[in-house]
Amino acid sequence: MIEFKEVHKWFGELHVLKGITLKVAPAEVLVVCGPSGSGKSTLIRCINRLEPIQKGELIVDGMRVHESKTHMTKLRAEIGFVFQQFNLYPHMTALQNVTLAPIKVRRIARKQAEEEGRRVLAKVGLGDKLHQYPAQLSGGQQQRVAIARGLCMKPKIMLFDEPTSALDPEMINEVLEVMRNLAREGMTMIVVTHEMGFAREVSHRVAFMDFGELIEIAPPEEFFARPRSERTRLFLSKILTH
Amino acid sequence: MWLFYIEQLLGSLPFFLKGLWMTIAVSGLSLLAGTLVGFLWGILRASRSRLLKPLIGAWVDLVRGTPFLVQVFIIFFILPEFGIHLEAFAAAVIALTNLAACFICEIVAAGIESVPPGQREAAASTGLSGLQQLRYVILPQALRVSLPPLVGQYVLLIKDSSVVSAIGVVDVTRVGWLTVQRVPQGLLVFGLVALLYFIICYPLIRLSNRLENRMSAGYTRSRD
Ligand SMILES: Nc1ncnc2c1ncn2[C@@H]1O[C@H](COP(=O)(O)OP(=O)(O)O)[C@@H](O)[C@H]1O
Ligand SMILES: [Mg+2]
Repeated sequence: MIEFKEVHKWFGELHVLKGITLKVAPAEVLVVCGPSGSGKSTLIRCINRLEPIQKGELIVDGMRVHESKTHMTKLRAEIGFVFQQFNLYPHMTALQNVTLAPIKVRRIARKQAEEEGRRVLAKVGLGDKLHQYPAQLSGGQQQRVAIARGLCMKPKIMLFDEPTSALDPEMINEVLEVMRNLAREGMTMIVVTHEMGFAREVSHRVAFMDFGELIEIAPPEEFFARPRSERTRLFLSKILTH
Repeated sequence: MWLFYIEQLLGSLPFFLKGLWMTIAVSGLSLLAGTLVGFLWGILRASRSRLLKPLIGAWVDLVRGTPFLVQVFIIFFILPEFGIHLEAFAAAVIALTNLAACFICEIVAAGIESVPPGQREAAASTGLSGLQQLRYVILPQALRVSLPPLVGQYVLLIKDSSVVSAIGVVDVTRVGWLTVQRVPQGLLVFGLVALLYFIICYPLIRLSNRLENRMSAGYTRSRD
């Protein structure tokens, strides 16, 4: 579904991704963790070309993202992206937020899009917040609207960039619950997170990134019980004791 | 004596109204065209275009850094040297349109840049095209920020339009000049001129204030 082949990315002089090779299968849930600044956000932002890569190959759903002639709007419609800061449209209600792309990109009739929008918002537990603006919602509710916005496009892949890092602790679980359900339904997901409970319980593989490299990638049982690299061990001991 | 002058002034009221109409025509046309051009320039200026962005920036700085009166003279007196003949009215509208476009360009670009980059990224990641991102996500938020200064700018531009009387456009200011030759009561005559400008500008000033208040209220209006 997603394949990185020796992918390199620079920001000016800064070498941010140093030869990433990675394959994610359909219906797989991959959790990516690693210290701040290690390139996790950049890694998943390359997948829908929010960031272009400079070297290597990146093939997503059969499309060659690394080739500049590849038309991205079509591929992006198939990939939901959830940001740490939610990035909801503040001038639109929850329902308008989730129906904009289906109406404008998929060209679905408004009535039908709204019906679907209602259904998906109800599914993430916000059936009673359809006409609220983001500013009227709590962080956890906003992030669930953001997930619903991705889901309303009926994507093949969902990418999450630290979806719970900006949330108050008591709201983290309501968002993770939605993501758990999504994983159970067989969505292909890459989740950048430090929620190791979620990784253990839901993911098929966990990857550890440091200084722009994939240091280690393994099924969660193995990843947590027997990390192979010293750096992984060090990182895990830090975040698990916190 | 005063009564006599006021009577004379009332006699030339039709002349003043014609001048007022000219002021409205010059400013109205220029603001309309200047808004269209200004939005286009502003969008390009806030874009990533390597060529247009600095080009428009340089032009805006040039126009903002020179007196409007001189710009009007250049268009009216210099262009004919190059074989481009313009009537005073056309020269006035072109000069004021350009001035309006430059100020509006800056206001619009600032509005667009005030929208957090995450908004564009969110819109792009759902598959909206660049134009759709602009139209449905960026501009509505930018406009909210830009509208109060935009309307405020209209007021300044309407007042600046008095400069075009210098090339013989018979607007309210010029009517004042012509009238004061017959009715030597400067205070009275230009008091009337000022009043006429104020009548056009005041509603816009009020509008700008109201928009400002609405903007600071934030996006909390519930719709159910
Ligand atoms: N737009 C950018 N321009 C320049 N440098 C950037 C940009 N985005 C990220 N970086 C740098 O790239 C590195 C990796 O960033 P990021 O992918 O955000 O890391 P993480 O998500 O793991 O914290 C960091 O050193 C960061 O400062
Ligand atoms: Mg990050």
